[in-house]
Amino acid sequence: MRAELSKLASLWSVWLASAVAVLAPSGIALLNRGVPGPDRGYQELAFGVMGVIILGVVAVSSEYFTEGAESGGGRQITTSLTAVPSRLRFLAAKAAAVALVAALLAVVAATATMSFAAGSSWEPARLAGVVCYWTYTALLAFGVTVLTRHGVVPLVVLLVNTSLVSVTYLLSRFFAVAGYFPDLAGARMFVEPNDTKVEMAPIVGFLVMSGWVAALLAIAAVVFTRRDA
Amino acid sequence: MCRPGDAGSLSGVITIDGLVKRRGAKEILSGVGFEARPGRVTGFLGPNGAGKSSTLRILLGLDRAQAGTALIDGVPFAALPDPVRTVGAVLDGSGAHRSRTGRAHLRWVARAGGLPLSRVDEVLELVGLADAGAKRVGGYSLGMGRRLALATALLGDPSVLVLDEPINGLDPEGIRFVRTFLRERARAGRTVLLSSHLMGELAETVDDVVVIDHGRIVAQGSLAEVTGAHRNLEEAFFALVSR
Repeated sequence: MRAELSKLASLWSVWLASAVAVLAPSGIALLNRGVPGPDRGYQELAFGVMGVIILGVVAVSSEYFTEGAESGGGRQITTSLTAVPSRLRFLAAKAAAVALVAALLAVVAATATMSFAAGSSWEPARLAGVVCYWTYTALLAFGVTVLTRHGVVPLVVLLVNTSLVSVTYLLSRFFAVAGYFPDLAGARMFVEPNDTKVEMAPIVGFLVMSGWVAALLAIAAVVFTRRDA
Repeated sequence: MCRPGDAGSLSGVITIDGLVKRRGAKEILSGVGFEARPGRVTGFLGPNGAGKSSTLRILLGLDRAQAGTALIDGVPFAALPDPVRTVGAVLDGSGAHRSRTGRAHLRWVARAGGLPLSRVDEVLELVGLADAGAKRVGGYSLGMGRRLALATALLGDPSVLVLDEPINGLDPEGIRFVRTFLRERARAGRTVLLSSHLMGELAETVDDVVVIDHGRIVAQGSLAEVTGAHRNLEEAFFALVSR
């Protein structure tokens, strides 16, 4: 776990992810100062998960990044698994490190964003929802990347979905069941969409997203322990 | 390097038996078995694609075999109580992420293995990278990357060293360094197992030879036994693998 934290701390892309995580929501909140609203601050924080998506993806993809042929074509995962041969232990330590960093970033980002946002209300339950949502989102990005062993596809898909065009949101406009996608359900922990087909209490949103995270991490663990490194 | 008092307790026998590995329909290993003993440098030789890397990756628990066993002191690598102090591995490239410095790489490995961080500068010194520790791995030459991989393997001062093609792509100075280094390890009672497809480079380094071709062991024994009546190891090798 300490080794995994020190791995994260020594990757520049993790620092980039942290900067995005803190600056994106607080920056937007700053720009939106003139337009107060009930969800001011929380909306920005829903958008700010991009930072922890990058974190979850690069924590795994950095292990599989292949050096150029001229430097021998090695991958860090071989070093990792010869230092920690138990794959479950390795994966658990890595997931824990990602979750811890994501939660910390969420706390910092939420504090900054809420103090900038106009007319924001500090509601402990909703803010806890933000921290939970960020942590879970990082773990989902982590789990998907364990399965793909490559960062580009999950990074692009997940980032586009949270920023430019939310595919899951569009689907939910047509199919009520799409409201149970982890991103939409999880966001219920702190924002209430006004045009939704499914009514969902924050606690239900929490349970649905927890289910997604548990299932994805279980699949990732099974695949990771069985396949060749 | 060799701490006083531990020479007597060193073991580190590698026992590989009946390994079978298939990828899709292709059988990569067909019952590979051999032994590597402490105090000897064992050369695992074969042409490219013969199954050397697969065998070593199975030994290190990175790949799974369909049948057979690969044990270190009687247990699989993943079951070793203290893996980093028992086995050091040098596989492809540097095994480090290019955006980290060499020192940062060694520090996380030391943490993962429960080793004191003071080992980091010791191994950097040992492989001649003391001045490059603060440089990013992406800026290393191939030879420096290989030295970093060797430094990583040596962090736990292990009784067994496993190296896949350690001299591949190195300049003459690098080759000489690796050779001398491995001979010293064996002299200190450690087990050294290295694979290579470069026969000529190895004859002066190895004590024992295992030859693999198309996933089968075609010869094994001491250097003299395998060379036999041939002029040198290279001749013997080509006679063996062209059958």
